[in-house]
Amino acid sequence: MAFLAGCRVLDFSDARGLMAGRLLADLGADVVQVEPPQGSDARRREPRCGNDPASTSYLWLAFAANKRGIVLDLETPEGRGQALGLIDRADILIESRGPGRMEAYGLGWEQIKATFPRLVYVSITPFGRTGPKANYADSDLVMWAAGGPLDPHRDGTGVPLRPSVPQAYRQAAADAAAGALLALLARNRTGSGQLVDVAVQGALGTSTLGMVLAHAVGDVPRDRAGKPLDRIDQSGSGSGLPANMKKWKAADGLIEFHLGIGPAAGAFTGKFFRWMLDDGEPVERFAGLDWRQVPTMMERGQFTSANLEQARSAVARFLSGKTKRQVLDAAVERKLLAVPIYTTADLIHSDQLEQRGFYATLGEGDRAVKLPGPAMKVSIDAFDLRRPAPEIGEHTSEVLAEWDVSNEPVAREHAR
Amino acid sequence: MKPLEGLRVLDLSWVVAGPVVTRALADFGAEVVRIESSTRVETARWMQPFIGGTMSAESSALYATWNAGKRGMTVNLTHERGRQIVRDLAGWADVVLEAFSPGTMKKWGLDYATLSADRPELIMVSSALNGQTGPLSSLAGYGNVGAALSGFQDIVGRRDDSPIGPYGPYTDFVAPRLALPVLLAAIDHRDRTGKGCYIDISQVESGVFFQSPEILAAFKEGRVAARMGNDDLEYVPHGVYRAVDEQDGDRIVHRYVAIAVTDESQWNALALWVGGAGLDRPELAAAEGRRKHAAEIDSAIADAVRRKSAKSVEIELQALGVPAHVSASSKDFCTDEQLAERGHLVRLPHDVFGEVTVEGPRYALSDTPGFPERAAPMLGQDNRYVLDEILHYSPPLIASLEEEEVLR
Repeated sequence: MAFLAGCRVLDFSDARGLMAGRLLADLGADVVQVEPPQGSDARRREPRCGNDPASTSYLWLAFAANKRGIVLDLETPEGRGQALGLIDRADILIESRGPGRMEAYGLGWEQIKATFPRLVYVSITPFGRTGPKANYADSDLVMWAAGGPLDPHRDGTGVPLRPSVPQAYRQAAADAAAGALLALLARNRTGSGQLVDVAVQGALGTSTLGMVLAHAVGDVPRDRAGKPLDRIDQSGSGSGLPANMKKWKAADGLIEFHLGIGPAAGAFTGKFFRWMLDDGEPVERFAGLDWRQVPTMMERGQFTSANLEQARSAVARFLSGKTKRQVLDAAVERKLLAVPIYTTADLIHSDQLEQRGFYATLGEGDRAVKLPGPAMKVSIDAFDLRRPAPEIGEHTSEVLAEWDVSNEPVAREHAR
Repeated sequence: MKPLEGLRVLDLSWVVAGPVVTRALADFGAEVVRIESSTRVETARWMQPFIGGTMSAESSALYATWNAGKRGMTVNLTHERGRQIVRDLAGWADVVLEAFSPGTMKKWGLDYATLSADRPELIMVSSALNGQTGPLSSLAGYGNVGAALSGFQDIVGRRDDSPIGPYGPYTDFVAPRLALPVLLAAIDHRDRTGKGCYIDISQVESGVFFQSPEILAAFKEGRVAARMGNDDLEYVPHGVYRAVDEQDGDRIVHRYVAIAVTDESQWNALALWVGGAGLDRPELAAAEGRRKHAAEIDSAIADAVRRKSAKSVEIELQALGVPAHVSASSKDFCTDEQLAERGHLVRLPHDVFGEVTVEGPRYALSDTPGFPERAAPMLGQDNRYVLDEILHYSPPLIASLEEEEVLR
């Protein structure tokens, strides 16, 4: 039995919160996606199959996978009554429609918490349920800007850039799944449900490598004269370096390689030059250098930025004649910090992902989809990958019967 | 009452991916003991931003935020007696989390099979770039390597230029977000059944999972996700526009504002706000129509934004219902009225700096809220506490460990 087998989740999320329920469904929870009669907005979001605007969305297929689907018309008293009946049977409710939207249907947390004291109510909002920006209009890009990850990330023209695959809501949806389970663990002890309030804006600070905290902790790096200082990154991560310093052209694509200096990454740079040397490149000087000592040598003038440039040119020439596969093999064999930059085309053919059984195929025939499964392996039965994303209303009668909604007096009474 | 009170966690991880997970456990009541080396100082301690702007092993705000609420101990793991301390702590712990290169824990006799032999209730988590198995499992690397192998390096940048990749070690931001629900479900499962488990996280797989819709498109149609600047597959206009420069102390900073139009009413409002540029044409009513004239629209918006402050653009457009926000700097984030309302930033007393500011949890629980109880540990801060109070080592034993330099 999967970890969350027996746990019932009623999922009112729109496209923005869709991924949260998928994560719980993969853990075995019975996640029921509630859609309006015209279908979830997530069915119309990009990327979509083909160019037909009426076609199915890959977002829907990916993040509604493993859920069952029902249609409820929350605009009608019957629909709202059925919703309350289902909520009575649910352990967790998820919603992401924006502040006040569930309240308009009489399904807001404050409105129903007394009736359903064991319910874990997960609310995902762009900025928060209350507060000065609670009713701000949102989008992935706007959230990426508001939450911090956009600003420090600029290309050569200085314009901040976001990932072209939207990430803001997906990150917050994953956080919502964690929040739901923290509340479930609390309920194991207290017997009571509660509100789990996830705001996308606040969740995104995590994706700035602490940079959002710079102002609060008073970090303006300066020299003694008060002039802003450029730091030499000695952490080895290369995270402070301009991106193009870490990208190299190979024969058939791009390579990610941080030519690191200093105690943490210098050794990897040395190994890289030894690979070049073994491959017949005339780089004796760089291969023999202790790259961990280079920052000190530069301070003493024993190694100059011109020398570093020569090293970089040699690397660029060398890599331009190698394929991504050759670099990867060398990286594995010699423990280098140089790897191919994969595209989605590479990812769907990855030996590593194949051997790990990362991709799962759900559904059969026309409805079969191959998609990413859980990003981890667990030694015991933890996950349950069982069905593709539902058709509109596919499981309405099945769920109403299984969750035994019609025989529930509390729900019927409340619905009137 | 916090939901994880009483849960004991041994944290052998470092940098970001692992510590983000254990920070969440600490916030919600777990007692987390973090093992570090004072001679091979962990990477995050040397990463900016630095408290007061001064680089030192104790002043990283990145380290401070991801290790708040934890106990910290220094142990020399290359010493057999150091590994014995870890073995003893693993005997105390409900959850052990590690992020060494695959195989390292086994070499030390600290792998799951050994540690769980007489403790079937133990939960152990390993976090690695490619996971513990498969041809790439031995490949080491930081988050930029994870971002390359998971496809993220390729999808940030302009169409006609080489990619710039995501900001920072992207898989470190997403792997803990997927690990945490599984770990919490494992804890719930253990509480009910008494049975622990081993969780083997792949950072690369985490990155790929976050592109699930795009991976489906690749499987189904061979479509390759492409970088496209700040453009969007669906929405037009959709961009980041330069506003007037601002003075920050003695620096002039370039300011930007993000604007996106996601429906027709937002477009009508934006066209009116831009004014005078002839954007109220019927052919521009739908996104497909606007896409054909994207350059014209972009330059009209850029002109309208150029002489305004980024903040005033945000306020004016939001008043009209158009999604817009300043591209938030650290100062904007730290002074944001909405984040303040949520109490997102948390100030903790600190022995050296007086006070340190960290981020709060990403989920506000109404009845059992999480928050860090104390600032992140300084190197070796809790050596005594752990040896005395947790492991109950005798004073002579502790003295001999100190003498043999095991506690470093």
